[in-house]
Amino acid sequence: MKYIKEHLMFILPMMAILLGIDFYLVFDRMTSNYEAALRDGYSMLAITKKEMNTQEFKKLNAEISESSRIDKSEIIKQISSNQSKKDVEDILKALPYFYTLKLEKYVDMDSIEKIKKSLLKSTDIKRVETFGDSYYSKYRLFSFIKFTLKVFIFFMVLVSLFLVIKQMEIWGYKHRQRIQVMEIFGAPLMLRSGVLFRVALSDAFIATLLIVIFFSYLRFIWAGSSGVNIMIEQKEMLFQLKDIAILLASSVFIVIISVFSVVLGIKENEE
Amino acid sequence: MANVIHAENLSLSYDEGKKKIIQNAKFSVKRGEFVFITGRSGSGKSTLLKSFYGNLQPTDGSLMVGGLEMKAIPRKKLQELRTHIGIIFQDYKLINEWNVAKNVVLPLMIAGFSLDVQKTQAQRLLKHVKLSEHANRFPLELSGGEQQRVGVARALAKTPLIILADEPTGNLDDYSSGVIWDLLENACSQLETTVLVVTHKIPTVFSLPYRHFTIEDGGVYEIH
Repeated sequence: MKYIKEHLMFILPMMAILLGIDFYLVFDRMTSNYEAALRDGYSMLAITKKEMNTQEFKKLNAEISESSRIDKSEIIKQISSNQSKKDVEDILKALPYFYTLKLEKYVDMDSIEKIKKSLLKSTDIKRVETFGDSYYSKYRLFSFIKFTLKVFIFFMVLVSLFLVIKQMEIWGYKHRQRIQVMEIFGAPLMLRSGVLFRVALSDAFIATLLIVIFFSYLRFIWAGSSGVNIMIEQKEMLFQLKDIAILLASSVFIVIISVFSVVLGIKENEE
Repeated sequence: MANVIHAENLSLSYDEGKKKIIQNAKFSVKRGEFVFITGRSGSGKSTLLKSFYGNLQPTDGSLMVGGLEMKAIPRKKLQELRTHIGIIFQDYKLINEWNVAKNVVLPLMIAGFSLDVQKTQAQRLLKHVKLSEHANRFPLELSGGEQQRVGVARALAKTPLIILADEPTGNLDDYSSGVIWDLLENACSQLETTVLVVTHKIPTVFSLPYRHFTIEDGGVYEIH
């Protein structure tokens, strides 16, 4: 019973850390997709005195990914129906050029304002409309959700890390005499840490395996039958093969850090 | 013969120099010598012994052990030096979760000897200290005298350059003490190992020639 409890005290916080890491990965993938959709759906309007192409806009600001000219005849369609052909031609001549500008990535409002300012520096550009209000509200909501989730995951990982180190200290205390004697007889750090590494690594592998099983279940069984559209459509976001490598590397890294912190903390003079 | 230990104006202290234990000590010990270090309780005998295996570094002066300066000795060099030193403690310092055979071959394990060599050596060493039948028992199942014999066997495992013994018979009866002294005498005479023993009392029956250092008021003096 004591043996099982000792190992669970390590496996459970390690699972919480790995759960946090994998949730972060899933969330990151989901938000990257959403960010791409927001970015693709967003465009600025630039009104110019002369015809311009994407390269010219890019020269003014590298954040601009593409530009497309809005057909002027489309703009005056409604008012041109009762006008003569010559009048329409005169109106078209008098009108400036309209462009929708798309951005390279999803950026915040400050960056949008900077882009606007850099465009307006050109004397060829008369006006830039950013449609900031609608963009800003979406951006704020999205950033808030992203921030809260990351903070939650961060604290979950931090608290669990303390629990892992605490358990390592208990093991360190249990093996203190052996570690001290080995040090007195000249054993290098790796040999002294050997026993802790064996115990911690085996538990870390168990924790990783359980998390892999959990996320595989979410992806291959739960997502399909959840009835949630976004889950059904994006179930591959829930778990990917590279996650196994990331989880394994994370658990091994945590084990290395915590074992060394415990073993180096044991002084050979301590009783 | 070459000096195995050489101290020149050696000072040792605790609490970052605030508590001075040994001051301006000057002495040398040659290969194959047997040295007793005596002194009153708290005089600094064990402190001096600790400095020989780098558990405490000199605050002043110089201390050479096995040709290495112990002041600010790098960790790696200290580890290497310790593999040539056999240490025996009054409280044995055996690893209680390991059986006797495994305890004995700890220095061989650290040096990276194969399991076969370790097994053979464990048998030889345990036969030497007359504990062959206890190979698979655990330290806490043995008497104090038997545990100390395991400690001696461990110290001898890698034929060390130096054996340091801190009150090796302090907790033992006369018979067990006699066995330990015999083992240390043999190590010194047959293996040419330098043996330094911290003790309250020099044994009355001792066949080897020996040197006697005493510590008084922080000074190390040789008694002729």
